[in-house]
Amino acid sequence: MNRTLLIAAVLAAAGCSAKIQRPEETRAEPPYVFPHLPHVEGDVACTNCHSSIFGATSLDRNVRHVELITTPSRDKNCKDCHDSDPDIRVPARTSAFRLRFDHKAHLARVKGDCKVCHVKLTEAGDKTASPPPMSACTSCHNHQSDFATARCTPCHVDLKGYLPVNNAFSHQGDWMRVHGQMAKPSAQSCAACHDQTYCAECHAAQTTAALPKVIFPEAVDKSFIHRGDFVSRHQIEASANPASCRTCHGSAFCNACHTVQGVTSSAINVRDPHPKGWATEKGTNHFHGDAARRDILSCAGCHDNGASSTCVGCHQMGGVGGNPHPRAFLRRHDGEEPHNKPMCNICHTHPLP
Amino acid sequence: MRRTPLLAALVLLASPQVRADTVEASSTTFLTVGKDTRFKGGTKPDLVTVAPAFEILSVSARDIQTGFGEVEAVLSTWGSLDLGERRWDSGSDSNFAGDVTTGYLQARMIDRHLLLRVGRSSVPTGIARMIQIDGGYALIDLPAGPIVLKLSGYGGSPTSQRFRDRSGEKSWNPTGGTLAYGARAAAAVPVKGFPGRGLELGAGFNEVLDHSHTAREEVGGDFRLQPLATSDLALAGFGTYSLPDRRVSEASAALSVSATRKLHLTADWRFAEPSLLLSRYSILSVFSASTWNEFGGGVRYAFLRTVTGGFDAHARIEPGLTSGTHTGVDLAFNLDGTFGRTTAGAEVSYLDSVVNGYTGLRVFARRDLGRVFVSGDVLGQFFRKQINGQGGAVTGTLSGGYTLTHGFSAVISGSAGMTPYLEQTFEVMAKLAYNQTYRVQEVR
Repeated sequence: MNRTLLIAAVLAAAGCSAKIQRPEETRAEPPYVFPHLPHVEGDVACTNCHSSIFGATSLDRNVRHVELITTPSRDKNCKDCHDSDPDIRVPARTSAFRLRFDHKAHLARVKGDCKVCHVKLTEAGDKTASPPPMSACTSCHNHQSDFATARCTPCHVDLKGYLPVNNAFSHQGDWMRVHGQMAKPSAQSCAACHDQTYCAECHAAQTTAALPKVIFPEAVDKSFIHRGDFVSRHQIEASANPASCRTCHGSAFCNACHTVQGVTSSAINVRDPHPKGWATEKGTNHFHGDAARRDILSCAGCHDNGASSTCVGCHQMGGVGGNPHPRAFLRRHDGEEPHNKPMCNICHTHPLP
Repeated sequence: MRRTPLLAALVLLASPQVRADTVEASSTTFLTVGKDTRFKGGTKPDLVTVAPAFEILSVSARDIQTGFGEVEAVLSTWGSLDLGERRWDSGSDSNFAGDVTTGYLQARMIDRHLLLRVGRSSVPTGIARMIQIDGGYALIDLPAGPIVLKLSGYGGSPTSQRFRDRSGEKSWNPTGGTLAYGARAAAAVPVKGFPGRGLELGAGFNEVLDHSHTAREEVGGDFRLQPLATSDLALAGFGTYSLPDRRVSEASAALSVSATRKLHLTADWRFAEPSLLLSRYSILSVFSASTWNEFGGGVRYAFLRTVTGGFDAHARIEPGLTSGTHTGVDLAFNLDGTFGRTTAGAEVSYLDSVVNGYTGLRVFARRDLGRVFVSGDVLGQFFRKQINGQGGAVTGTLSGGYTLTHGFSAVISGSAGMTPYLEQTFEVMAKLAYNQTYRVQEVR
């Protein structure tokens, strides 16, 4: 089945004129050279130096939209402060921008007030840019709407390497515990950065090759939930948080290991894992009925055989095991169900009184 | 089976005159050799050697610009050969095993208002709860003034390992079944302010059938609220209601907020009825109506630029051994940081459940030395009640790696330990990995 798809993918890939990401595309830019702060405090108009920005419809490599006044001591806008002419040369920018932005269109919307978005500016010596925070974009409803529908790439060239700090999906705090809850209403946002191979490393337990801790033993800083001797503590974890196991594992998964360890009735060689008195000693803290009421998923790790199971022999109507249903069961299941559901017929071979 | 030629055709059809902005390819080849136990009769299990060799291949191409939309193609697959005793989790009756972990084609069309996905993937949205299916998923968002309406649906066959058996109790899929489908309708109300500010409300249903029998039939809802203009404070939650059993099967809520630049807080609550996580066709599903509750929170604080400490505390209310309830606790403390080329951390955990509990201690470190790295990881756990006659377990792993040229890297790792089931355990692993990102591909 998969061969056809593989061949197709190989054929498609064979047509690639592959270019590995070049190191120079990610190299650092030279430090910034212009002291913005005194000019902002002096209420100098941005357009004195950035006049071409009003016509800029894109962020282009090698273009900074800067034209410094070379002789400020003689310029009418500068000479009040400048007695001399500092030698400042703006180095060319070589890296490609990772954003797409139309200054011309946006400046019209903010009536030429750059400070609406540029709340912090670079100073001489800064090694990194101080772009407007994303809240500047999402202060407009249209872009907040883009955010809500994960339409990132019209503005972001790509999201690779971005850390989601200081935004709605900060992977901070106990993120491992809450990420599922945050993702359920917002899966589109997750998919903006993560394709499903990333999620599948943990969430595709039935099709993945091996546990992440086996494949990546060197990734000591990652939060793998099965670290260390998980085999010994799995029963504690499963009892403490049954829903967590059931996110990825079905009963047959548990049973597959229990079979080779001989602790399930489906094994060829069986050793009974239950304590003495398990079947009959009602009222003790090791009676199977109480255990089943408390943690039925542990029972399912060996005894989940669909409609027929080892329980039926004793618990069918008239059997020695008595009524196995929990309290209030009948309130939620009317007397007609045994007639309609084949599973019920396994025990309820006769009409209910 | 019939979908594969269709997928293949789509791959090829999509090829002419298309351009993918990012293509990532990876290959991981590794061999592990270790000890495991098998019970073959007698009084105690036998010790066996398990030595599987794996090859994992992944190719993904994103932002493929085509005439009809933006396409993403993802294929992640693996194969293995057991050189010693067969692994218990290979899902195969042969020494050879393999599977497609994830494989799908996804297209965003109509100015990206419509998303279509076909293949093997998971459905994370709403109450579908990451169900992995071989099938399709569609999502359309419709801007309607200040709100965005979102309609999505999925359908397919729940995935099972190596296609062995998709039926409920025999399936490795937690939901089992032969057919699953569901839908969700949501309204998002974006509000100007901090990124993500607004409200999203969703409602949906999901149904899983095991041949003609109902395995799961639920309705439910989810929400996400980020109310403040200048804060990332977000509250999210969901709840599901089992129609055959007329009971709430699962519910949860979580709150996350950066109180300051250095301090992050979380709080969460979860509720589950474990019996309702079983297939409705399992007779075990009508034996119990116990409930399980967990609530608590966590705090993370950045002490220094690169050092972070955290503490999480949760209480769990679970059924008692014979009657009533038991309140257990789950505590975790961790401290980790980066010091130059070294990353190091320590964790202490404490879990108390009605059946047993343990205290865990873990320390780890990794040192990068140019192309070479070494890492170590030691974890000890001490049980409240003895397991197999033993009070604790200690395991440790030491790894070393070297970054080769052209995206290749090699890792050798060794683990050893003493556990309740293995007096002495050793495992070695050798891995050759290839990871490469290609940009601006011309695909014909």
